[in-house]
Amino acid sequence: MSDFVEQTVELSTGQVQYLIGGTGPALLHLHSASGPRLSPAIERLATKHTIYVPTLPGFNGTTMHAQIGTMDGLAGVAAEFIRKAIGKGCDVMAESFGGWVALWLAVKHPDLVEQLVLEAAAGMRSRDLAPLPTDPADSERLFHAVPERAPRNPRYAEALPGNIRVAMSYTGGQSLDDALVASLQRIRARTLLLFGTKDEVAPAGDVGRRLKAGIANSHLSYIYGAAHALEFDQPDRVARLVGAFLERGEAFVVRTAEVA
Amino acid sequence: MKFSYFHLMPWTELDEAPQQWPASNKTFDPARGKELYDSYIDTMAFAEQCGFDWVGCNEHHFSPYGLMANCNLIGSVLSQRTKSIKLAMLGNLIPLLNPIRVAEEYAMIDVMSGGRLVAGLIRGVPHEYIAYNVIPGESRERLREATALIIKAWTEPEPFGWEGEFYQYPSVSIWPKPMQRPHPKILMSASNEESAEFAGQHKAMMGMTLIADLKIAQRCINVYRQSAEGHGFEPRPEDILIGQNTCIADSDEEAKEHLSRGLSYFHKVLMHSIRDAMRLVVQKSRFFAQEQYGERFVNRLATLNARNIDEMIEAGSVLCGSPKTVIKQMKRIRGELGNGRFNLNMKIGNIPDKVVRRGMELFRDKVLPEAASL
Repeated sequence: MSDFVEQTVELSTGQVQYLIGGTGPALLHLHSASGPRLSPAIERLATKHTIYVPTLPGFNGTTMHAQIGTMDGLAGVAAEFIRKAIGKGCDVMAESFGGWVALWLAVKHPDLVEQLVLEAAAGMRSRDLAPLPTDPADSERLFHAVPERAPRNPRYAEALPGNIRVAMSYTGGQSLDDALVASLQRIRARTLLLFGTKDEVAPAGDVGRRLKAGIANSHLSYIYGAAHALEFDQPDRVARLVGAFLERGEAFVVRTAEVA
Repeated sequence: MKFSYFHLMPWTELDEAPQQWPASNKTFDPARGKELYDSYIDTMAFAEQCGFDWVGCNEHHFSPYGLMANCNLIGSVLSQRTKSIKLAMLGNLIPLLNPIRVAEEYAMIDVMSGGRLVAGLIRGVPHEYIAYNVIPGESRERLREATALIIKAWTEPEPFGWEGEFYQYPSVSIWPKPMQRPHPKILMSASNEESAEFAGQHKAMMGMTLIADLKIAQRCINVYRQSAEGHGFEPRPEDILIGQNTCIADSDEEAKEHLSRGLSYFHKVLMHSIRDAMRLVVQKSRFFAQEQYGERFVNRLATLNARNIDEMIEAGSVLCGSPKTVIKQMKRIRGELGNGRFNLNMKIGNIPDKVVRRGMELFRDKVLPEAASL
């Protein structure tokens, strides 16, 4: 974690802070509604990737960008971030809310997304599913199947309520983005869809099937023993699978001695 | 000449080719599946009445071209539906499985059938290694170790332990043991020179299928013979099994028409997405120890896929025609390869079951009486 350093980049809509660390090909990581957090999975992946973790505008107390108020607008920010901070198209990995942004990014800027990893992507949840709890303790149980691995950094906890409000301002409180669902077929990037076997926030039976049906070149994998916060619940499993996918492309399904 | 009746148990109801591997199973209809199993098992039991020496089946995963994830289940059913025909499991994909479980299930079939099991110990085609997430480059050595362990499990009179590279079992003593002593006949694939040498080393019967070129097939058989002889085993003609997609009908034209349609469905629909998975394994792993064998494997499939029926007949890839024509084709292959056993796959793709049955009757009445003495 100590290898990550904070930087800023000036975009046409405003400034974006980001963390950068690791070594290897560029990997853009788009954070969840909880805000940017360096998970154990990111740290493992950083041994083979240079990981860029931007703080989307408004999160962690940063300034909102005046013209950006929607999820596809955030995708535009991510696209400009790739061009200016990374310099060329790259692999993209995204958690939950960040997955929603990444989906729009892959729809609208296909040239910038090489391979896509979506961890329990948001924006795809059926409206008739049971509403998510508002009580923080209930949410905590819902997000973390392995509570002892949940992040304990006080800065994360402090920023959480504000970050949730910012996320809501972008999503408008919606759980299903119909326009995005209708656009999924435009995604060309090879896509890995990850879902925790214990995830009730973005259940694979609902969200995963919608994504799998919509994205032509996609592969759905379950992470056993994980709820919604996949990177914290099962960092080794996530890093192993994502690492193989990013490194080997379509051949990641062929087992090798390195991952045995 | 002896004959085996082989069945892949294909799914016949796809309207279009799956675009990705593995093929989505969302259109699988269990009620139709039940009908197919009933019909296929009836046909396989009928093979005994048609004079076949063996009835054979095999194992495939994640694919509509074969509904037998575990052929031992079918072997078990056939042990109760037949009296004398040998039950050829061609076979279990050993590197993917728990070898002790294979030893146990094979022993069960052998005992239940009164000693009629032919035990195929098969490496399998490349894409199966994705399905069961086994390192393809370990396939040969896994097969080697598992074969030794299975034979030990069948033959060791007292409990024993096994501490191997891939398998570790502190204490093994299977119940039942096989009826055949010292153990059931073993058959291994020899469809390329690498496999042929391996089969010979193990003094196994050899099986070969998907022949694209009789000269190459002959070369594999020579490698098998030399390897076997080098290990003190002299194979007889009946130890050499040649698999053939087969259509026997009342006329040549009718047979060609049925086979052509069945193969078209098989290659263009059932096998469509599998080729991508096979290519991945061949290119991205050490499934074939030598690169040239991987290329040959891929080329062989492409060649077979591109040929028309007449070209396939000429190449010795299929048996197709009236009984007289098929006997001639068998004689030719027998003359070239020296095999004493044919494995006839007659349910190819979506060839109707009544056409298959008619072919079996023609085999019984008109082919076998003459071909048995080849």
